[in-house]
Amino acid sequence: MKTNCSECEAELATPLVCEACGALQVCAESPTPFAVMGLEPGPVVDHAALKKRLLELSRAMHPDFFGGASEEQQQLAIDNTAELNSAFELLSDDMARADWLVRSLGGPKESDERQMPQAFLIEVMEWNELLEEARDAEPGSKEHAAAHELGATLENERKTIMQAVRDALTPLPESGSTALIDIRKQMNAVRYVDRALAQLAELALEANH
Amino acid sequence: MAFFELNVLNNAQEPILGIDLGTTNSLVAIWRDGRPQVLKPEGHSGQIPSALYFPENGEQPIVGQAVRERALVDPVGTVFSVKRFMGRGLKDVQEELSSVQFPASENENGLIEFNIRGRMYTPQELSALILMRVHDIACKALEGHPGQRIVITVPAYFDDAQRQATRDAARLAGLEVVRIINEPTAASLAFGLDQKQQGTVAVYDLGGGTFDVSILAIEDGVFRVLSTTGDTHLGGDDFDRALMELAYDDLLPQVGEETAQDSAFLQALRLSAERTKIALSQHLEAEYRIVIPESDIRYHREIKRSEFDALSQPLIEKTLDSCRQALSDAGLETSDIDEVVLVGGSTRIPAVREAVEKFFGRKPHMELNPDEVVALGAAVQGHILSGGTRDILLMDVVSLSLGLETVGGGVDKVIVRNSPIPCQATETYTTNVDNQTGIKFTVIQGERELAGDCRTLGHFELKGIPPMPAGLPRVAVRFQVDANGMLSVTAKEQSTGISASIEVKPMHGLTDEEVETMLMASYDHAQADFDNRRAADLRVEIARMCRATRAHYEEAKPMLDRETIEDIDDVLLAGDEAEKSNLPDELQKVRDEIERATLPLAAVLMDAVAKSAMAGKTLDEL
Repeated sequence: MKTNCSECEAELATPLVCEACGALQVCAESPTPFAVMGLEPGPVVDHAALKKRLLELSRAMHPDFFGGASEEQQQLAIDNTAELNSAFELLSDDMARADWLVRSLGGPKESDERQMPQAFLIEVMEWNELLEEARDAEPGSKEHAAAHELGATLENERKTIMQAVRDALTPLPESGSTALIDIRKQMNAVRYVDRALAQLAELALEANH
Repeated sequence: MAFFELNVLNNAQEPILGIDLGTTNSLVAIWRDGRPQVLKPEGHSGQIPSALYFPENGEQPIVGQAVRERALVDPVGTVFSVKRFMGRGLKDVQEELSSVQFPASENENGLIEFNIRGRMYTPQELSALILMRVHDIACKALEGHPGQRIVITVPAYFDDAQRQATRDAARLAGLEVVRIINEPTAASLAFGLDQKQQGTVAVYDLGGGTFDVSILAIEDGVFRVLSTTGDTHLGGDDFDRALMELAYDDLLPQVGEETAQDSAFLQALRLSAERTKIALSQHLEAEYRIVIPESDIRYHREIKRSEFDALSQPLIEKTLDSCRQALSDAGLETSDIDEVVLVGGSTRIPAVREAVEKFFGRKPHMELNPDEVVALGAAVQGHILSGGTRDILLMDVVSLSLGLETVGGGVDKVIVRNSPIPCQATETYTTNVDNQTGIKFTVIQGERELAGDCRTLGHFELKGIPPMPAGLPRVAVRFQVDANGMLSVTAKEQSTGISASIEVKPMHGLTDEEVETMLMASYDHAQADFDNRRAADLRVEIARMCRATRAHYEEAKPMLDRETIEDIDDVLLAGDEAEKSNLPDELQKVRDEIERATLPLAAVLMDAVAKSAMAGKTLDEL
């Protein structure tokens, strides 16, 4: 990854643009989302700082500010801003961030390892039952109330598992380590929880109509 | 006299006009004197009806206010709401066809065409005619040519085909679209600047044909869209239709099926409905009247506002559903919204205002004219793009997900809606057969699971893949959405680094060749058009020169000799007469004569200015 500006030689805080002289940088390969934001790879991110950086870098490279420049420069502004926006979106989402870290360390993709942790599976069966009952039940019934409680339980569950994922990624495991497989399984559990929460939200919307 | 404009631009770039090409009305604005202003030639409201009238004798169509007045007397030959047809197929627009008084058909590319007085017109060409009129109005207001660069607005929920159609229309009108921006975002720019806003803003935009709701975070001059959604099939026209149906049901038994299907009858019904709707915004009851003497139709019915409110309820509820969706997408509640902005003429309807206030739990902002706010925002964006300021930045989002059609007829989403733009995603393809050099795929836009329920953007064909065994090529196809919210696709075979070429067959659109052909065809009319243009420009310039001459004529007379005065009087007379001429060469002569004859006047005034400057007086004080 290039570290100095191609125009003025100043040190680059991000591979996409030189904030000292304003020159857009050409990247031979897609920079990592962490490199774009000038962060060390890790599972925790300061959201306020991230947003501040997004606005700063957007002001430096957004195509709107290259309206009078050559076509090449305008295209570069579009390309680099697209990279910036991708990086921001990924780093803002805790699951996307964790997923990127696991894969970058040689761990399994979601499609390669679909299992959830053993202990979790038993609870999943119970929750699936509650969800089904809620779907078939009348609004105001005890099944619906149970579903509402389930929502609270699931929110807590998500927090717990994500904390475990973060802990497992601090410090970052060795490249190719088996710990990455366990982390992926936990992330699959979070994926299940998010889907269940979405279903509950849909049921709630339907009930209101 | 040297008629130079003391219009010193403080940067090298040409100014960029902001154009709101609306379903019902269009407006044009420009950044001037530190703020955006709607361009209004003297005596003009700034609103240019997006309406055309094609005379029976095949003469040039009329565009604008004159058409509305004409339509009251003679609805045949009129065309309204062209925007509803842009980038759409015939089956999408069945209900809207009554706003065009000519037969519609669809060509093999799914492009709608109207048979108008023996010539086929696409919606793009009709919009181009409207844009030319809009540009003329701008020239008249500015008393000069601001150039051909524009920012044009579209509903946020317009898909790629609709945006492309808009860009093609501008190109056909001889205009260069520097940026396409979303209407609610443009409105927020105008509002944010005017009110010096920070915070979370919801923009509720109910125009003639479309509805959009956008939620933005405004912070230190950055306008960041958090979510946007809407309905391209919901607008003021639908409120008109609700009223129309009442009258239609009443009249059907009286007029019979045949007359009831007659386009002129439907047009009259529509225009009356619109008038009644507008009246009901001011009064608690209004009369819906239709008089068509030729068909012996004399109808009137009293409508109470409460009746109209009941009819409007389902439409308003649909807009509120979109508002719920936008809030959910942004992860916000109504209590998180700091300000609500209303955009679009239809927000003048009292029932709409009440519903929005109730939903968001706060009074919506109405300081800015809901009809002008979009054009003003476009002018602000034009100002930014022409290098006028770096203090404001618009960060918009993709309004509809983009995906690829799968073999089973499903959709694989590649770019998800509400992703900030510019954005991109890369998909890797390979070949199924040895030495296969091409790959085909279809791009879909929309949120549904089945391709058939979404809109097909176009069929893409990748060519030029180097011949290799099946499964070996790694073709990286990059889908990029630019700041206009428009898609471009590039492809590279990664092992060889060779770029594949992409051919696009757009749905409901024009290919580049077709646009070229249309531009070429217009060169046939070019000479006539060019002459008309030149003549129009010269008339404007002559009028300006006469006005400027007369402004200082009386004061300067004592310093001029009799011959010069007679000369100037003659040319001023000729200048006044020239208003009636349409011959460019003749007008050129008149203009040149005015310039020649007023040289002595200029000299005298310059002298006086120099003398007074030394005496510390201004020209005005002379």
